[in-house]
Amino acid sequence: MAFTLYSLLQAALLCVNAVAVLHEERFLNKIGWGADQSVGGFGEEPGIKSQLVNLIRSVRMVMRLPLIVVNSITIVLLLLFG
Amino acid sequence: MDRSPPGFRHRKLPTKVRTRISGHPSHLFEDTSGNVDVPTFEPGYEGPSSGFGLARPGILSDPMMSNLAMAYGSSLASQGKDIVDKNIDRFIPVSRLKYYFAVDTVYVGKKLGLLVFPYMHQNWEVQYQQDTPVAPRVEVNAPDLYIPAMAFITYLLVAGFALGTQSRFSPEVLGMLASTALIWLVIEVLAILLSLYLVTVNTDLTTIDLVAFAGYKYVGMIAGVVAGLIFGRTGYYIALGWCCISVVVFMIRTLRLKILSEAAAEGVLVRGTRNQLRVYLTMAIAAVQPFFMYWLTYHLVR
Repeated sequence: MAFTLYSLLQAALLCVNAVAVLHEERFLNKIGWGADQSVGGFGEEPGIKSQLVNLIRSVRMVMRLPLIVVNSITIVLLLLFG
Repeated sequence: MDRSPPGFRHRKLPTKVRTRISGHPSHLFEDTSGNVDVPTFEPGYEGPSSGFGLARPGILSDPMMSNLAMAYGSSLASQGKDIVDKNIDRFIPVSRLKYYFAVDTVYVGKKLGLLVFPYMHQNWEVQYQQDTPVAPRVEVNAPDLYIPAMAFITYLLVAGFALGTQSRFSPEVLGMLASTALIWLVIEVLAILLSLYLVTVNTDLTTIDLVAFAGYKYVGMIAGVVAGLIFGRTGYYIALGWCCISVVVFMIRTLRLKILSEAAAEGVLVRGTRNQLRVYLTMAIAAVQPFFMYWLTYHLVR
């Protein structure tokens, strides 16, 4: 199981891409993971599901623009250097 | 080699150095560092040194301007250094890192003993100091980075040695082993961070603490591989099994105090999903260690 640093970076990039691709309306709402569906009351503990939903929503919002840049760079580098 | 005699000849006339060198026919590039008018300048136009400002070529050879330039350059450099110093603390907490390396021999001995035999130790709590991390020198239970760092490097050396005894060694293998182990460490720390976030644990475990705890398993791996080298496969399995169990107990006892709530850490059974999740998380973190220990060493011992 030989890893290089680049494979870790590529794996991380693919994972973040996977999270960013989840569509709010077509998919997350259908399975009840939409951002507007899980706003609970001010209970003490958020619980795993709402933490996950928040995480997905924030990743999608924050990483959209950097992902465009990083993906383009990665594509160019992979085309050039294989 | 050809350029040096003309330059050497002209050292006696310091104001003319740049122009002569730039006018020399065999230089490979144009020296535009202080010269505005390189190709067409004639030597007869040398004027008084400091009155002409930028229009004069050879500006940097002039002592007053060169002092100014040096002063400006050094102030720029110190400004840049200040900016880097201020901002580096946001990404890598350098000022806190030094606490993790404040170890002494007694601590290292006790900690290594704890890692292979944690069963007799009674008090796992860290005596607190508020803002700064506890220096391991004063407290045996505090995590440190010295042992993980040294253990990692020793693991690489021992792995190289083990591969060498099987004639499978080449220098690239060391690099691959190093990056593989390092990347598994990074993945493990990231996974722990993610699960700590999801379970909303209010803990004072920092990332460096997690790196330290994840690095403690290298001690067991070294012990396993060395035993495998000396005693063969049986010795490897016995040593690795013992070290795996010790590391699991060590991790559970250490993390229990940090992750679980106060009451549950005492041993009282506290019901509720939140505490259950925390218990599962602690057990999962501890259970992942033997898996990695085996995964990273089984191919070294034949």
